[in-house]
Amino acid sequence: MNARILAFLLATVGMLIVSGIAAPQVRAAPAPTLSIVSPSPNAVIGNGSPVVVVFAVTNFNLTDSRNGTSSPDSGHVDVFVDGGWTAKASINTIVLALPSGPHTIRLRLVTDNGSALNPDVTASVAVMMTQGPAGGTPGLSIFYPREGALLGTDSTISFQVTNFAVVPPGGPAGVPNEGHVRVLLDRVYYADLTDVAPLHLNLKDGSHNVTLQLVDNGGSPLNPDVRVGLHITVQALVGRVTRFDATPFLALANLLIGLGILAAIYRKLEAR
Amino acid sequence: MRAHMRPSHGRSSNGRMAQLGLCLLLGIFLFAVTSPLGAAAVPSLSILTPANDQVIGNGTPVIVSFAVANFVLVQPGRVGQVGSPTEGHVDLYLDGVYSRLLTRVEPISLPLESGPHTIRLQLVQDNGTPLNPNVSAFVRVVTTHGPAVGTPRITVVSPKPGPTISHDLYFAVEVTNFTLVAATGQPNAPNEGHIQLLLNGVLHQEPRAYDLGFIVDMPDGNNTVIARLVNNDNTPLNPDVSASVTVRILGAADPTASEQVTAGVTLILTAILLVLLFRRRKAARRFAPPKAQP
Repeated sequence: MNARILAFLLATVGMLIVSGIAAPQVRAAPAPTLSIVSPSPNAVIGNGSPVVVVFAVTNFNLTDSRNGTSSPDSGHVDVFVDGGWTAKASINTIVLALPSGPHTIRLRLVTDNGSALNPDVTASVAVMMTQGPAGGTPGLSIFYPREGALLGTDSTISFQVTNFAVVPPGGPAGVPNEGHVRVLLDRVYYADLTDVAPLHLNLKDGSHNVTLQLVDNGGSPLNPDVRVGLHITVQALVGRVTRFDATPFLALANLLIGLGILAAIYRKLEAR
Repeated sequence: MRAHMRPSHGRSSNGRMAQLGLCLLLGIFLFAVTSPLGAAAVPSLSILTPANDQVIGNGTPVIVSFAVANFVLVQPGRVGQVGSPTEGHVDLYLDGVYSRLLTRVEPISLPLESGPHTIRLQLVQDNGTPLNPNVSAFVRVVTTHGPAVGTPRITVVSPKPGPTISHDLYFAVEVTNFTLVAATGQPNAPNEGHIQLLLNGVLHQEPRAYDLGFIVDMPDGNNTVIARLVNNDNTPLNPDVSASVTVRILGAADPTASEQVTAGVTLILTAILLVLLFRRRKAARRFAPPKAQP
């Protein structure tokens, strides 16, 4: 009986030793961690500004060492943008200038010799870059001419855009507050404007409808749709002073005088 | 008894001296503990540049220089790091939004959009908690693409005042101490904005930055075009900065060329007809029978 108890006690102590409870001082050091503090996930970075990434690490020494010696708890951070290596950081703040569109920024702890930790320690964040403002509702207005205006054959449409960056088409679709201005003339596509310069038109006489619409880089209307319409009437020579033209009357007089000359010549010949 | 008392009195005096010395030492200790000079130095943080309310012009980034005293900047999260109230890092907030984590006392370059901004620095411990009491510093700046100083001016370079036969005119202006940018609803900033062209008092167009204005189909007669500098939100500058030019658009020629030609032909034909009629009358007078003599 005593032998059984002794064996049981020995087994229990052995299991405790194996499980490490009895020797906490020999446990491995806490594993390094990495987290992205800023920007927040899916943040919109506006006005074409660079994105500033702030990250935090624990149990890891950031070093700028290039001496080749390597330690599993020291090194730097490799920065990957959309899967491609972009930069190396040994301080907690990284500034990245990125083009418009969605991007995924992934950070990875690596040792001084560039090898990944085991297990791999990474963190990532998705951001949206835009040339336009990060917030605000896009707006569009026509300030010249007024609704129902009477214009000459050549005319100018002047407009203003707010909270929206007008850029050439071809960029990634779905970028907020960025795109171009679509012109519909008499409800038919007419042109895409890539800046806010006035639109010049040369129209035939009659009534016309001009519609301006904000569209994204892919040409799709914004949601909600942002458009403004204008009705104008075109009439040639509006604003021109029309003077009296005597040409037709002079031409008639010439005809009559010519007939008189012929009559005079005929009478003369007849008299001979 | 006296003899006995003397030594006894001497021991009592020594005791008092010892008590006095003990009190003195205690006082010195308490003074040292409570004295501000003896207390641990308090961490401090100050922004050296830019100055408060400084205007940063020409679209240049803001260079922030700061100083830290009685506080050690270290990388947070080091191996075996033990938190201390005199050790940590600097958090930078831009317009209230967390922006950067600084572990070195060196100037920072901040490219900022035009407009007013507030930059705040705060000392925090390694675990990110602020010090107690809080140690922070802030500075307000105004950034602009325009020059930081100077009075904006605008002049109309072309067309010159006076008559012209064209109804479509380009307008060229010269702007000084002012930077033209596309208006997209951004905040106002000093010496930054765009141009508005007003035709006969009515807002007509806003030319693209550093592009010519082009007004077409202008009516005959006198037309006054005002070129005005405005802020990003289309409000006029204060005081107003504008220039104007008056051109006289000449209408169609008077008389027209066709009218002149036709009138010339009329004159020639009339002359021919008159000559014919005159010669006919002369001939009729020559061949007329003589009148009977009364």
